[in-house]
Amino acid sequence: MQYILGVLSVIGIEIIATVGLSVFTGFTGLFSLGHAAFMAIGAYTAAILTYFYNVPFLFALLAGMLMSAAVSMIIGFPTLRAKLRGDYFAIATLGFGEAVRVILENLSITQGARGLPGISHYTTLPVVMVFSLLVVWMTRNFIWSKYGRNAIAVREDAVASEMAGIDLFKVRMISLIYSAACGGLAGGLFAHYLNYIQPAMFTSVLSTQLTAAVVAGGMGSLTGPIIAISLFIAVPEVLRVANMWRLVVYGLILVLIMIYRPSGIMGYHEFSFEILKKIIPGRAAGYAGKRGI
Amino acid sequence: MFLQTLITGLSIGGIYALMAVGYSLVFSILNFSNFAHGTIIMLGAYIGYFLISWFYSSLAISLLGAIVGAAIFALLNVSLAYIPLINRKAPPLYLMITSMGVSIFLENMVYVTVGSHFYSFPEIFKKSSVSFFGSEISTLDLFALIFSFIAISGLHLFLTRTKMGTAIRAASYDMTVASLNGVNMNRLIGVVFILAGAFAGIAGVFLGIKYMVYPTMGWITSKAYIAAVIGGLGSLPGAVIGGVILGILETFVSVYISSVIRDVFSFSLVIIFLVILPAGLLGKYLEEKV
Amino acid sequence: MALLELKGVTKRFGGIVAVKDISFALEQNEIVGLIGPNGAGKTTIFNLITGVYKVTGGKIFFDGKDITDLDPVSIVKCGIARTFQNIRLFNKLSVIENIRTVLFREADYNMVEALFRSPKVTKIEKQLVEKAMEYLKVVELEEYANYRADSLPYGLQRKLEIARALALKPRLLLLDEPAAGMNPEESLMLVDLIRKVKERYNLTIILIEHHMDVVMELCPRIIVINFGEMLIDGTKEEVQSDPRVLKAYLGEEYTYVKG
Repeated sequence: MQYILGVLSVIGIEIIATVGLSVFTGFTGLFSLGHAAFMAIGAYTAAILTYFYNVPFLFALLAGMLMSAAVSMIIGFPTLRAKLRGDYFAIATLGFGEAVRVILENLSITQGARGLPGISHYTTLPVVMVFSLLVVWMTRNFIWSKYGRNAIAVREDAVASEMAGIDLFKVRMISLIYSAACGGLAGGLFAHYLNYIQPAMFTSVLSTQLTAAVVAGGMGSLTGPIIAISLFIAVPEVLRVANMWRLVVYGLILVLIMIYRPSGIMGYHEFSFEILKKIIPGRAAGYAGKRGI
Repeated sequence: MFLQTLITGLSIGGIYALMAVGYSLVFSILNFSNFAHGTIIMLGAYIGYFLISWFYSSLAISLLGAIVGAAIFALLNVSLAYIPLINRKAPPLYLMITSMGVSIFLENMVYVTVGSHFYSFPEIFKKSSVSFFGSEISTLDLFALIFSFIAISGLHLFLTRTKMGTAIRAASYDMTVASLNGVNMNRLIGVVFILAGAFAGIAGVFLGIKYMVYPTMGWITSKAYIAAVIGGLGSLPGAVIGGVILGILETFVSVYISSVIRDVFSFSLVIIFLVILPAGLLGKYLEEKV
Repeated sequence: MALLELKGVTKRFGGIVAVKDISFALEQNEIVGLIGPNGAGKTTIFNLITGVYKVTGGKIFFDGKDITDLDPVSIVKCGIARTFQNIRLFNKLSVIENIRTVLFREADYNMVEALFRSPKVTKIEKQLVEKAMEYLKVVELEEYANYRADSLPYGLQRKLEIARALALKPRLLLLDEPAAGMNPEESLMLVDLIRKVKERYNLTIILIEHHMDVVMELCPRIIVINFGEMLIDGTKEEVQSDPRVLKAYLGEEYTYVKG
């Protein structure tokens, strides 16, 4: 039982990070290769605050989010300015994850590669559930607001968006900061769930898992990635798959999804802007059987 | 000391240039970051290593085998994973994600099949060194430098003197115009990947000799992308210059400051370059057709 | 005072001169046809006006203000909107969402309100839907409001692009081949639509078009571009009778219907 509750906690925590990444990759159309680094920053910031300075848990989590957001701005500012392409950001994140790891291993306050043991266990399952529900709800609100629509527009057609007066840089920055803050929160919760963190936990394995969940779940879907990350965590736990095979499968999933079903398992489907439905009832079927968000 | 560091940096830079050229070549044609390129380099290193251990330290066989092997892998990569997307005109983001998937897949396939051992090349060059203005330069560094130079010059000749090369350069300006002029696009893309793969093979062998062969050596290959950004994404001369500059700067940082921060430094260099020179040394923003 | 004025505008791509020393001025409420063979540089002129490309030489003024070096977003804010030759809709969004998206400037709420979905946000979003519907009604697309944009037939997608441009509340509208791919009947309806929106929104319009019947029907004044250079700028009668125009078009397959 304890074991199942543990798996559920991990799922809840990773849902927060995945939902954040889906805003950046799924809805805004940018690609990150080192998203786990934002979790690491959040985890260390929050853990150091509760461990060394006895800061209340909630404030520590908030600080972790803010720190992640601040760092994302430093990475995002130069890389997202290049108007039409997200390649610069993807390349920068390749080194970013590594840089964060090296810094964490060499700072004295993070205690290097040994990590921080004995962090208080504040992250219980109810805490995780409250936070993940809150984040999913807020992300839904984000996507259904002008911010989310602008992000989707930028993903769909950057040139047309710009010609419609949408500031590409601003939209991409907002999405990045949002997803980094989610990552930071997930990291902070993670640290206080495991009671122990070390730099080696936040490697490309974690980043890959998050990206694969967003891509497989559906770029442009919120429920899809949530389902995907839950399966990604639960299935190997049940089958006891070795870590390396998991990565082989994630790699294959990324390739196969892109080739055969780029819209992911959910496609764009959970969307039903209810407001619209009320105004134009009976239009659910859509032209030629296709209906969009 | 200074001269020695410079030459070491230059030879590492030559390898980076080899890596970056293949990446930039693909970028210039297909307009996406092919993150599988680093993994092809890693496969080239493995092929080179196994050949050299079977065939009694024949560097020629090792290099040749790595070139052919990596080119085949690159060709398989493009025809199995990218061509379906290219043919249905998928956005570059999808290709980028696919390339990341290929990279993760291949890297971990090597992990589960070959294992995570570190293999080191037999010592062919390491012991010998040449004296040059009072500094000791290892023969390997010298050889890598000269070989990189020859390979890149060969590519340059191919691109400027042959019909296929001209078609490739035309396609890098405008894919549609090139295809209108009767160039078979899938064949052209195939040739580009074979070239990129061949360069990955050479780079892989030199990297393997320098740093040993192991599944995650792909991390070093991310320097190829950094070099390309410094030189200007999609520009071949930029890739070469970017690679050489990165190699030299990195070597100076690790010799004079600290080898721990070397990789952090390379990464920061991308950020710095994007702030002060967003288009890189030789590139320009690729203006999208509207 | 002229609403839009180009003074000696030139654009070079590497060694190729795409647009050379183009000068013209547009008065408020004018509708001008911009014609010329394929590759003459018409779309490039649109791209220069809207800031997609930076000019190599010359100046562009809008409403007396120098907009030459402004970024595209600021130019849109000045009151210039456009459509695209190769339709650029937000394909996976529904028809109405395409419009609602570009109405974001009218959505006066902040991030915190958005994240917590305050009643204010709900109210504003509802108003946006109503406003978006208004634009759809103008182009007669209201019954397709919830269809995915890329599921619409070609002609309707073009109309949606016009509606999206209108939603930006422009004073100058740049239409890039709005009748491309339309049959004569549809073109005729398009002509009516353009007339209607011009009156209703008090617009000044530049129209790039290969369907000469559309151009002749709508534009009293026509500018002809060939090889990036200005060939003539005159009334439609002048253009129709000018031998240089026929020569420029020689060998090109265009329907030339005398207006």
